[in-house]
Amino acid sequence: MTGTIEIKHLNKTFDDEFCAIEDLSLTIAAGEFVSIVGTSGCGKSTLLRTIAGLEAPTGGEILCGGKPVHGTSPDRGLMFQEHALFPWLTVRKNVIFALKASGRYGANGGSVGALLETAGLAEFADAYPHQLSGGMRQRAALIRSLAVSPDVLLLDEPLGALDSFTRMVLQDEIIRLWQARGNTMVLITHDVDEAIYLSNRIIVMAPRPGRIAEIIDVPMGYPRNRGTSDFADLRKRLLKRLDFAAEVEQEYYL
Amino acid sequence: MKNRIICTLPLVVSVLVMLQYVLVPNFREFTPLDQNAPTNVWLWFMGFFALAFAAWNVAAVFSKRAHTQLRRRAPLLTVVFLLVLLFDFATLKTGWLPQPFVPWPDAILNAIIRDRAILLTSLGHSLRLLFTGYAIGVVLGIITGVAAGWSVKARYWVQPLTKLFGSIPPVTWLPIILILAGSLFGGAVFLIALAVWYPVTATTMNGVLNVPKSTFEAASTFGVSKPGMIFKVAIPASSPFIFQGLTQGMSIACTALLIAEMMGVEAGLGWYINWQRGWAEFAGMYGAVVIIAVTFFAVNAVLGVARRRALRWKEGGA
Ligand SMILES: Nc1ncnc2c1ncn2[C@@H]1O[C@H](COP(=O)(O)OP(=O)(O)OP(=O)(O)O)[C@@H](O)[C@H]1O
Ligand SMILES: [Mg+2]
Repeated sequence: MTGTIEIKHLNKTFDDEFCAIEDLSLTIAAGEFVSIVGTSGCGKSTLLRTIAGLEAPTGGEILCGGKPVHGTSPDRGLMFQEHALFPWLTVRKNVIFALKASGRYGANGGSVGALLETAGLAEFADAYPHQLSGGMRQRAALIRSLAVSPDVLLLDEPLGALDSFTRMVLQDEIIRLWQARGNTMVLITHDVDEAIYLSNRIIVMAPRPGRIAEIIDVPMGYPRNRGTSDFADLRKRLLKRLDFAAEVEQEYYL
Repeated sequence: MKNRIICTLPLVVSVLVMLQYVLVPNFREFTPLDQNAPTNVWLWFMGFFALAFAAWNVAAVFSKRAHTQLRRRAPLLTVVFLLVLLFDFATLKTGWLPQPFVPWPDAILNAIIRDRAILLTSLGHSLRLLFTGYAIGVVLGIITGVAAGWSVKARYWVQPLTKLFGSIPPVTWLPIILILAGSLFGGAVFLIALAVWYPVTATTMNGVLNVPKSTFEAASTFGVSKPGMIFKVAIPASSPFIFQGLTQGMSIACTALLIAEMMGVEAGLGWYINWQRGWAEFAGMYGAVVIIAVTFFAVNAVLGVARRRALRWKEGGA
């Protein structure tokens, strides 16, 4: 399958100092929605950037759709916390830029207008990024990433800087787009509710060295209700797990 | 009411200039053979402005836009024309400013008209020199600036160069360049290009270094090619900085141009000024100064418009 991600004994060291990631193995199925949570500095971004091909592994390997990852590819989209839209281009031209750069303008170019329309961006299509609200910018960045039809979309705290209402609106938007396209999603978040609301599986990472502490399945259908007792139980379990991770970190310092 | 009065002030003052010119006696008598004998040219010239201001005032009654524009510019225009009034008074009317070294507006205008052919040729030569040097300096500056912003190795070599040329005024090299250059034109082009190269390199490098890493990373996830990274990402992303260099470079280029023309190149407005001074033709000298001022002002205004258009995407405009 094109959207599978196989991470095999991944090691990543910066400046030969300490392990940002140590011996991490994980397989993500095509079309799966996986969230990664963990304390700050535990290597979440490093893992995502390595999958994206922006960082090279120090050891081990990553296969995406069965092929080893070497460098970036339009098959693996990446969305950042700061929108990373090109400020000198309008929203529409940002999307067209991505399509042309990835060589997919011919296939997807005709649907840009419709795509912006369904995402509620039609009236902002010809606005520059600085003219948009924070939520609209992230929406535009999301659309730009998805416009090139990546098999895998990697999201590094894409909603982290937004207010909770905008965030919930965009969470629904992400679900809708994911279900419509069926691509693989890997999301980093600091928000436990967000992880439960969105994902099939939640990967809890522990720091120093960065590794997987626990993998939690979320056996709930969509759309999810944040008020159910199942949801509350999962939240409790996840928070406990994250607290534990925080304690470990403290011990390390003492 | 107060606004209406302010709006009419430029008109009033320009009429005052004409009245003073006609009614107040001159500081000395002129024979008809005297080259600087007062003519009606100055009246025609000021009459043109007076008519324009009158028309503008009429337009302001009907159009809100014309009114706000006139109201905004009226104080400045009033002061400018008051200065003209004063200048004419201090020269032609009283001879307070040292004569014959400071001619009056009518004499300057007549000198421009008399020498229009040679002034036009000189202007053409100056502009050709300016833009040849400027274009070369800008292109080279953007190339080295992008390279230095992009690669640590290039920065290692470019940075000391910009430091060196940044601390030495470019015209320092003029005598050497004029000796070594095969042609004076080529030497002056080289000088201007060098003068422009430094600020454009420095600002472009700075601009590329200031592009957020995530911008390049986002581009690379879309599969942007290496040339695409430079031409479609690095350069547009750092264009606010590059335009800073273009503006700085233009003002340095104008300086270098005039110095080169005054010191060696035997053509252009700078040369014309020197030549006129040599013959004690002060009116012609001032005429060239006026043309230079207007030209450089226009060049910078065009650059400013280009900059505002190109940087429309920027928060708070250019
Ligand atoms: N380019 C780099 N050079 C050196 N060290 C780095 C680099 N990138 C990350 N690190 C280190 O690797 C560790 C993991 O960083 P990473 O950014 O992956 O954490 P994170 O889990 O994403 O944290 P946060 O939740 O705060 O975003 C940190 O200690 C960080 O200092
Ligand atoms: Mg991070």
